[in-house]
Amino acid sequence: MMDILRISVPITVWIAAFSAVYGLEGIVCSDLWTAAGLSLGQGRAALIASWAAAISLQVAMLVILRLPRCGSPLPWVQRLATILGFAALVATVWSLMPVATTSLCL
Amino acid sequence: MTEKRRMTALRLHKALYSIWRNDPGWKGVFTTVNNNTIGNMFILGATGMFLAGGILAMLIRAQLASPQSAFMGPEIYNQVFTMHGTIMMFLFAIPFFEALTIFLLPGMLGTRDLAFPRLSAYGFWCYMIGSTIMIIALVAGVAPDGGWFMYPPLSSSAFSPGINADIWLLGISFIEISAISAAVEVVVTVLRYRAVGMSLDKLPIFAWYMLVVAVMILTAFPPMILGSLILELERAFDMPFFQAENGGDSLLWQHLFWLFGHPEVYIIFLPAAGVVSTVLPVMARTTLLGYGWVVAAAISLAVLSFGLWVHHMFATGIPHMGLAFFSAVSTLVAVPTGVQIFIWIGTLWKGRPELHLPMLWILGFFVTFVMGGLTGVMVAMVPFDWQAHDSYFIVAHLHYVLIGGYVFPMIAGIYYWLPVLTGRKRFFRMGETAFWLVMVGFHGTFLLLHWVGLLGMRRRIDTFEAGSGWELINLLASISGFVLAIGFGLVILDIAVNAFVAVRGRRNPWNAGTLEWGTPIPGPAYNFASIPVVNSRYPLHDHPDLPVQIARGEGFLGEPVRNRRETLAVSVSRGEPEFIAVFPQNSIVPFVMAVVTSIMFMAPTFKWWWLSGISAVGVTALALVWAWSGGSREDEGLLDAGRGVSLPTHNEIPHPPGWWGSLFLLLADSVLFGSLLFGYAFLWTVAPNWPPPRILEPGVLGPVLAVGGAGLASGGIRLADRAIRSDGSAWAGVLVSLAGLVTLMAAAATVFRGTTHNAHAYDATLWVIAGYIIFHATLAGIMTLFLLFRIRAGYLSSRRFGDARVVRLWIDYAVLVAALGLGAAWLPGILAEVPR
Repeated sequence: MMDILRISVPITVWIAAFSAVYGLEGIVCSDLWTAAGLSLGQGRAALIASWAAAISLQVAMLVILRLPRCGSPLPWVQRLATILGFAALVATVWSLMPVATTSLCL
Repeated sequence: MTEKRRMTALRLHKALYSIWRNDPGWKGVFTTVNNNTIGNMFILGATGMFLAGGILAMLIRAQLASPQSAFMGPEIYNQVFTMHGTIMMFLFAIPFFEALTIFLLPGMLGTRDLAFPRLSAYGFWCYMIGSTIMIIALVAGVAPDGGWFMYPPLSSSAFSPGINADIWLLGISFIEISAISAAVEVVVTVLRYRAVGMSLDKLPIFAWYMLVVAVMILTAFPPMILGSLILELERAFDMPFFQAENGGDSLLWQHLFWLFGHPEVYIIFLPAAGVVSTVLPVMARTTLLGYGWVVAAAISLAVLSFGLWVHHMFATGIPHMGLAFFSAVSTLVAVPTGVQIFIWIGTLWKGRPELHLPMLWILGFFVTFVMGGLTGVMVAMVPFDWQAHDSYFIVAHLHYVLIGGYVFPMIAGIYYWLPVLTGRKRFFRMGETAFWLVMVGFHGTFLLLHWVGLLGMRRRIDTFEAGSGWELINLLASISGFVLAIGFGLVILDIAVNAFVAVRGRRNPWNAGTLEWGTPIPGPAYNFASIPVVNSRYPLHDHPDLPVQIARGEGFLGEPVRNRRETLAVSVSRGEPEFIAVFPQNSIVPFVMAVVTSIMFMAPTFKWWWLSGISAVGVTALALVWAWSGGSREDEGLLDAGRGVSLPTHNEIPHPPGWWGSLFLLLADSVLFGSLLFGYAFLWTVAPNWPPPRILEPGVLGPVLAVGGAGLASGGIRLADRAIRSDGSAWAGVLVSLAGLVTLMAAAATVFRGTTHNAHAYDATLWVIAGYIIFHATLAGIMTLFLLFRIRAGYLSSRRFGDARVVRLWIDYAVLVAALGLGAAWLPGILAEVPR
């Protein structure tokens, strides 16, 4: 079962991070954010920080997967997990890039 | 084969047949739990639904063939197009690949049946009964009429006051039991029930695809099931989840529906891709290029598809950044799709393709699906989508993807596996004619519909004005539509004639390498006379005499000495033998339980709550009868599994198949609960008229009960588990656990005291959260009581404690959702009390 986790965790973390950042964008654009005394600039900063955290998490998982203690004893599974780890990293960079490049709450 | 060896195989066949065969006559239809029989019946049922959906499509095209058509009035037309979409998506597309999987998977994996044979039967009967109810509703003129995605407020009681919408909401939720059942079956079977030596890198590629799809079903369907249930609660009890004036939001439905609806597209496409990845290399007389890359593409496509749901909602006024997120993922998803396409092209390049009929359909798939994929990229672009949204361009796009990307490969698969399904080789040659009729008819219909969509024709309109410029296009599309229908009719006729009339065929006519071709055709009820040992992805290529060895009983479990249905379970990664799984006998319980479940789901359509309640008790009683019949009252120890290996039965391992099944069922359950929390957060953040007028105050009693109940329930079952493992008395632990569960229910019930179910969406959501917790605590309580009786009857011992582990899993889940759910319910009240 550990091998199934090695294969599935990075890309699952991507969808979790993606959903969380989308949720955060919803909160930043809601009345709750301004009611808490926060500005849209702080909202943008929070979104970018979340994006950076998601990328860092993906990089960390890739590194962990390559550690001899954590990698799979089956070379095929190890290769598959690495490919999917890279896919998750690319997906994180690309899909959350709008936090830095598009208008907020328009 | 020498005479002696033939005798050995024949004797073994007779012995296994007497153990695994169905009951004779009509009784066998209702009591069968065999994957081959259920798979065949399922395929027939789903094909029937394809015909029904096809007839409705022809009615649509007849209506739209001319302007101002008097063929159907709008009331009937609304039912027809809604049922066309509903049937094709829910009653044909998903059930058909499930049917094929139920039939094929044990053969491909080298095992004797799926992990939970009675669950296969239960899922099938739920599907058949539910589909029949939907068709009866159509004939009776009370079919759903709000479009296959049933958006509120159109589907709310104010605008859909009859029972039409209830039939959809309750009927589809009921039918989805079948999808969830099949998904649990497939996951556990692929992970644990395989030939010995079939490690993860040697799985047949179709099994990888189906594993991915099954996990997708478990995680994509629950949001829609939740949406259906809360919309039904709104309709029945006025709980305002989607009513803006009381804090609801109709966009919540769109989120919940498309959280299911977009992955659904890939749930449909990936099995077809699995068929292509299996059939195409055989047709090209080579092996699949880049097996690992295909697996990676399938997994990444599956997960990426969960980040696409909002691209169906681009026109709802979502902020630009949100649109950009989903537009980005919509473009990203083209990458793994492209990887698969290029790998298939590379495989063709590597091999020496032969143009048999399955290959013809795969080529049709290539052309059509690539075109559909390209229009998909077009509508992934927000500005284009705003122009094309809800037009016939979208109708054309989705038919290119669904028919081209799903139906064509599935037909290729049926022709390819026809010898396995029927034992006959194709003799009549209508198939080629049918193929060309379908191609001409399909592109004649839907290529034109792109055009009329770009000219502004909206989907779902029942007629259009003369002089709109759409007349000729619609007429040509309708004529082509009928050509398409004739083509599909001929395909079904060709398959039926070949299945029933053609001459007997030889085993493995395609010279394929996977194990489903290693059994006699059609496969016997037990599938394999002995469990094979494999050491490559194409065992029949490596060992051409493997089928003979299997038939002679030279694999595992080659002697049915214990005279019961047995197969082998292996370790997840390496495929090493781990235990002997003992399967149940034929049983009427799944059929009866499906009938009673259908009453439980459908009685609320007529507001017969009492009948639904009685049926719920009936379902519980039948489930207990079902569960009671498993297990053993004595320790068997290690048993001979053949080839010098001794193994325990599934009754004597810590995590029996029931534990694995529960684990994946709880995965689906947890996604439903997560969707509920998402809905709560969504309403709080986005919906109008929030915060609610009155916020629930947690007080002291509720939290104290929750903490105490959680501790007792969780601690008690652990005490019981420990006592069972040391042959001590488990009664105290079980009773403590029961007390804990009752306390948890009381904690959840405190939510009802501070809220009114129909006052505001906030109150309604808290009622559902509390209800969910009470339901799970009750379920865990019933299981705990069941465990108590099992202990008393001698089903548990220090070697046989798997039942306790299953119950522990359900109790832990109940405790977890109580903690999260009550925490979410009480958090706003706690924050309100914190001084600023």
